Amino acid sequence: MAGAARRVDYLAAFRCPAGGLAAGRPRVLGVGAEVFLATGGELVYVYDREARRPSAAYAFPGQVWHVELLVPRRALCVLCARSGLFCVPLAARSRSVSRAEDDSKDSELSPSVTPVGRDACVLPDATLCAFTLLDNMLVTVAQGPATWKMQLWEQPWAGLEPRPGTQIGEVAFPASAPPAGGPGEPPATCFLPVLCCVSPPDPRASRSPLGSPGSFLLHGALFGLLFGADATLLGSPVVLCGFPDGQLCCVVLKTLVTSRTAPGDPRTLVRLLHHLEEPVVLIGALRMEPQPQEGMHSHADCLVALGHHGRVLAIKAGRDQAGNPVPELQESRLPGPVLCAAWGRDSRIYHGTPSDLCVVDLAPGVVSTDPMKPSLPPLLCPASLRVCGVTALSVSPGAPEEDTELLALSAKGRLLACSLALDPTVACPARMEAALASRKIQDLLSAISNVSERVSSLKKAVDQRNQALTRLHEALDVSCALLSHQRGPRPIVCSTSTAWSCRGLHEELTATCRLQNRSGYSLGPGWTWCLQVLASSHACQLDAAAASTTYTVPVQQLAPGAQREVTLSLGSSEDAGANLPTTISCALSCSLREVMGGARLPPDLLPTQEGTCLPLGVHTVDLLQCLRFPGLATPNTQAARRAVSPADPVDTFLRACQEQRSEPGGSAALRAKYLPPSVASVRVSAELLRAALEAVHAGVPLCCATLQWLLANNATVDVVRAQALTSVQGVAPDGADVRLTIHEVTVPDLGPTGPIQAVEIQVESTSLANVGQAHHAVICRMQTLVEQAAQGSRPPDLRVQRLRQIHADHEVLLREVQALRERLPLEDEASARATAKQLLEVYRQLRSPSLVLL
Amino acid sequence: MSQAPLDSAPRSSHLDLWREQSDQLVRQAKQVTRNSDALRTQQQLAQDALHGLRELLHRLRGLPATVSLLPLELTVMCNLITLKVSHTQGFSEDQAQDIHQGLKRVLEASERLEPRLDYGLRELWDSVLRCSSLLPELLPALHHLAGLQAALWLSTDHLGDLVWLLQMLNGSQSEASEDLLLLLKSWSPPPEGLDAPVSLQDARGLRDVLLTAYALRQGLQELTIGSLPRALSSLQEAACGLCSRPVLVQVYTALGACLRKMGSPQRALLYLAEALKGGSIWGPPLLEASRLYRQLGDTAAELESLGLLVEALCVPQSSEAPQLLIEVELLLPTPGPDSPLRCGTQSQAKHLLASRCLQTGRAKAAAEHYLDLLALLLNGWEPRLSAPPGPPGPCMPEVFLETAAALIQAKRAQDALTVCEELLARTSSLLPKMPWMWEEARNGAQQPIQCPLWVSATYLLQGQAWVQLRAPKEAVSEFSRCLELLFRATAEDKEQGAASSCEQRCRTDVVLQRLRLAALISRGQEWVASGQDTRALQDFLLSVQVCPGDQDASFHLLQTLRRLGRRDEATALWCRLEAQTQLPQGDTPRSLPLYLETCLSWIRPPDRDTLLEEFRTSL
Repeated sequence: MAGAARRVDYLAAFRCPAGGLAAGRPRVLGVGAEVFLATGGELVYVYDREARRPSAAYAFPGQVWHVELLVPRRALCVLCARSGLFCVPLAARSRSVSRAEDDSKDSELSPSVTPVGRDACVLPDATLCAFTLLDNMLVTVAQGPATWKMQLWEQPWAGLEPRPGTQIGEVAFPASAPPAGGPGEPPATCFLPVLCCVSPPDPRASRSPLGSPGSFLLHGALFGLLFGADATLLGSPVVLCGFPDGQLCCVVLKTLVTSRTAPGDPRTLVRLLHHLEEPVVLIGALRMEPQPQEGMHSHADCLVALGHHGRVLAIKAGRDQAGNPVPELQESRLPGPVLCAAWGRDSRIYHGTPSDLCVVDLAPGVVSTDPMKPSLPPLLCPASLRVCGVTALSVSPGAPEEDTELLALSAKGRLLACSLALDPTVACPARMEAALASRKIQDLLSAISNVSERVSSLKKAVDQRNQALTRLHEALDVSCALLSHQRGPRPIVCSTSTAWSCRGLHEELTATCRLQNRSGYSLGPGWTWCLQVLASSHACQLDAAAASTTYTVPVQQLAPGAQREVTLSLGSSEDAGANLPTTISCALSCSLREVMGGARLPPDLLPTQEGTCLPLGVHTVDLLQCLRFPGLATPNTQAARRAVSPADPVDTFLRACQEQRSEPGGSAALRAKYLPPSVASVRVSAELLRAALEAVHAGVPLCCATLQWLLANNATVDVVRAQALTSVQGVAPDGADVRLTIHEVTVPDLGPTGPIQAVEIQVESTSLANVGQAHHAVICRMQTLVEQAAQGSRPPDLRVQRLRQIHADHEVLLREVQALRERLPLEDEASARATAKQLLEVYRQLRSPSLVLL
Repeated sequence: MSQAPLDSAPRSSHLDLWREQSDQLVRQAKQVTRNSDALRTQQQLAQDALHGLRELLHRLRGLPATVSLLPLELTVMCNLITLKVSHTQGFSEDQAQDIHQGLKRVLEASERLEPRLDYGLRELWDSVLRCSSLLPELLPALHHLAGLQAALWLSTDHLGDLVWLLQMLNGSQSEASEDLLLLLKSWSPPPEGLDAPVSLQDARGLRDVLLTAYALRQGLQELTIGSLPRALSSLQEAACGLCSRPVLVQVYTALGACLRKMGSPQRALLYLAEALKGGSIWGPPLLEASRLYRQLGDTAAELESLGLLVEALCVPQSSEAPQLLIEVELLLPTPGPDSPLRCGTQSQAKHLLASRCLQTGRAKAAAEHYLDLLALLLNGWEPRLSAPPGPPGPCMPEVFLETAAALIQAKRAQDALTVCEELLARTSSLLPKMPWMWEEARNGAQQPIQCPLWVSATYLLQGQAWVQLRAPKEAVSEFSRCLELLFRATAEDKEQGAASSCEQRCRTDVVLQRLRLAALISRGQEWVASGQDTRALQDFLLSVQVCPGDQDASFHLLQTLRRLGRRDEATALWCRLEAQTQLPQGDTPRSLPLYLETCLSWIRPPDRDTLLEEFRTSL
């Protein structure tokens, strides 16, 4: 169909039931200039194509499942859900046209609705699911309690008035799986059995081919093979029935009997031809091989069944090696799901999927391959007709020279007529009149705009997909790079520094995180930089859960070599101090949905997983990083401290006391007297420190180097380095003074050979909390130092006995602490105060540096 | 039982209302039975009644089960089941479900024991009947339900359950007899109270129907397995029971068949005559009568009754007004192929008549009947009449062949040729191109195997027709075609199919052999007629090889040998033949298709005995 030209006309729009047309069972049927259509509700419309308007509408008592036209009687046969079969004589067409001219314009789309009552019901049977009309008979399929049941009726409309038909045959399908849903209820699925009638060619050719669209004349050889010699000799029509469970059964009509005196055996009456394993949507017969002679009536030589998911079964007559005639079954696939389908001329099948209306020609697949053993390709490639959302389809039977016309009902209730020229060169006459030419040009222009619209939309979709693919590729690259550099330097780094900044009256501690992309790939949309700030809880609330905050920063675009900074507030001066040490975890997360989001992919292609998360590192902000040194630092921080830091209430109090009592020595003396500063110290072996710090701080005295190392992340480190300080006095975030003093000591009684040179780091502050935090920070640094030193170096010689003693002393102290802490909450206020005091004392002893880090 | 304060005035007034509604619906359904004007309105009315009863039952089941409510609920349910079964003409799983639910409601009301979920129908009945002595108000309704249960079990062949249920109902469980007939007779459902809700078919009515149905069923079964005296007594029991006219016709027909088999044809005839007087169903008694006359050897009467049968089947069975009751017919199994109640369709009867005519030598009548049959089958559009002869009878191609044979027999060779051409036109597409083998056919259809047989038989008949038309050239060419096709067959016994297919193949083998024989002899006769004795000799020699023991072939050979003056060979053959004729005829002729039998009868040498005599004297 490569050269197929097509023209689509929108004829009319009809009311669409809730859930769209696809939810019901829409039907469309074109007969001459009239189109009969059901949109899945209770109405059946008659559309007049000459008047270009609906001419009538019939309202049935139930949802309409199937519509057929009884041509000779001009009557409409309608199957209603849970009601039965109705037969409605149609009004003469001429009358409806004249009425159309009389009627006013506003009623154009709402013709008078004729209600159809129960008296038009010719077969009141709630279980009827499908029917088809045959010469003068009616075949129905009803849902029995456990199986499907086929019944054959005398024409119920033989007389002038439709009357109940006399049943002349019945058979239950024996092997059928029980239909879904209970008895009397419609099948749970939206699929109904599909019927098709095939007849053998009459050698005497007395009977004309059946007029009904669901009837086919089948080639003698195939017919005899499939249905047996009896059916062939009897010339009996055979009804093929495709069920929602995929069974394809056949019943030879002339063998059906109901009489009790001659009951038929279902096993001999019904034969299972095949199991399609998916709901059968359409059954029919096609002419596959080229016509032997022009003008000769051709019979179909291939039986085809089409499943909902696109499975195509073709049955042809063939011969095995021994020359015996055997049926050849071939399976193939169409892209599904198939919503509706119809037979075209010769070997074409038109079928509608949710996204397209396609036509496929089965014959080339058969002819092109080996002519001795023709077979269908495993996957058929249909040609698109570029109409989407078709839910019902009907092909108008035309002469072979004419264009094929399809009537389609779109999912939104629009009736379309799509005419297909077989061959554009044939369809286009050599010379045309002016009027015709202008019409043709108009058509062409509209077709061009239609096509260009489609092209641009397709192009856009392709671009989007390409972009998504590129982004996906980059994301994969980045992930690979990050994951493969677990040990070495990472290609994407996140570093953190802290600073104090002023916001209004308050100062706050901020952490500046910097994401540096040192890899060769750029990070695009879909990447998110996640920063989790985890504050450690207060010292006095050891068991409380730590509070954490997560910041996500979308990385819009980070080219190779670029960097991005984010400044986070770690809290104002009061609460920031309490939250120390604070941990900041950095990670990069990539959302696959967002990476591919731009492309409008079908939902089943979208990734089910959310994405990936790649950790970048963890940073700890401790007290040492937050200390400010008004005595050293640049003037502005000093000023800031003065301006911002509120007066220490203790100082205020002491000053007041001093004024009252006029004691000498000032507040500092008072403080020293009443509130001796807390002290904690750590001793580290000088050898260890020297070894560790030599690389960075070579040539600097050990104490200075140690201090510089401790304050490495602090903004003041440069000043400390410049002045070669060994002791600094800083201000903690809460305003209390913190003093760090480093000096060398000798530890006399630990080494076996003599005293050990050590460096003592002393932390001193009036605030116990600050001492704790600073001590913790120092210990943490020491820990990393010791861990580094522990690799490879031999353990120093020590006097083990002394060590043991120190250890035992500490054990005693720890036990005491535990006992005191357990006692604390049980006691009354007075004794609690005493206990607290005692506890403090023990803590102080614990902090006294009797051990040396070696 | 809590005759609780719940059952106070408003409740009972509701109950009255519902009872009124139920009675109304039942009366409406009964009305349907009486009026038989328009079938459609009846269907509609029946549907409406069904719908109404279903709604009502639904409403009643929404209430807690109490003793005052249950009689109405059970009656509504029984009426609903009766109506449904008669409407759909059969029991289904639904009815068992309904009964199950009803019994559970009774147990709920009795507050005795919580019905277990996994209780089957039998266990439920056991519990219900055990506690029913405490609920005398419920007994009539329970017996009604039990009647329906019995009908269900009878129709589904659960006779053990049925015996048990009746023993429970009769209350004589310990030393009761196992005889269902006796049990049914001794079951007396308690009479319903005057104020009981109206039922469509009460327990007593059901019992009578069950009694007749069981007796008839039993009689038919015993007739099939051949225990004739017991069948006779059962059927007589059924005849004594309450039955409608159609059922009576069936009973009398079965009695006729039984007596015929027992060897008392006169009594059988009396019953059959009674059956024919009985009513509207003439098919089965007429068929039975034809069998009887055949047994008596009265061919004229046999053919007459078959003719009547064909006419009787032509008349559509008068569809009487549907009885919205459970009737005897519903409880009978579908008649098997050898049941006396089965008479087939018109075309089947017609075929029987035609083939009997052919077999009894009435060739002209046979030909006419066969032509009628073909017309009926090919042009008739009502399957009710024109369904082809089923699997026990011949298949369609064989009917064609029989027709051609009958036409030749009736000296209508030209017509026979037409029929043969028709058959060839329709089956030639199924003919294999290459040598064909006796291979098991797939898909259960044996047609690919049989097809060459039919086609070669058609050639054979065509040849015979040409013989009759004195066209030896055509005849010989047809016989040659036939032989060519027949000798292409190669017996292939590589796979052993099922027993039936093996039997089928055996028969096919015999048919193939006889067809070859017939074709060879026919051609040989033609050679003889045209004076080409050597060629004839070849064919006759071959025919003796094909069928070594066949006398016809030997006679033809003998004659030819004699004519050719080959005395020694002829004498040797004659000696063999003499020895064969001395022996008792051990080889009983197997059942061959009728067309082949007819064909073989044509090639039988007419003067066998005189030939033998002549030979003997000449020696």
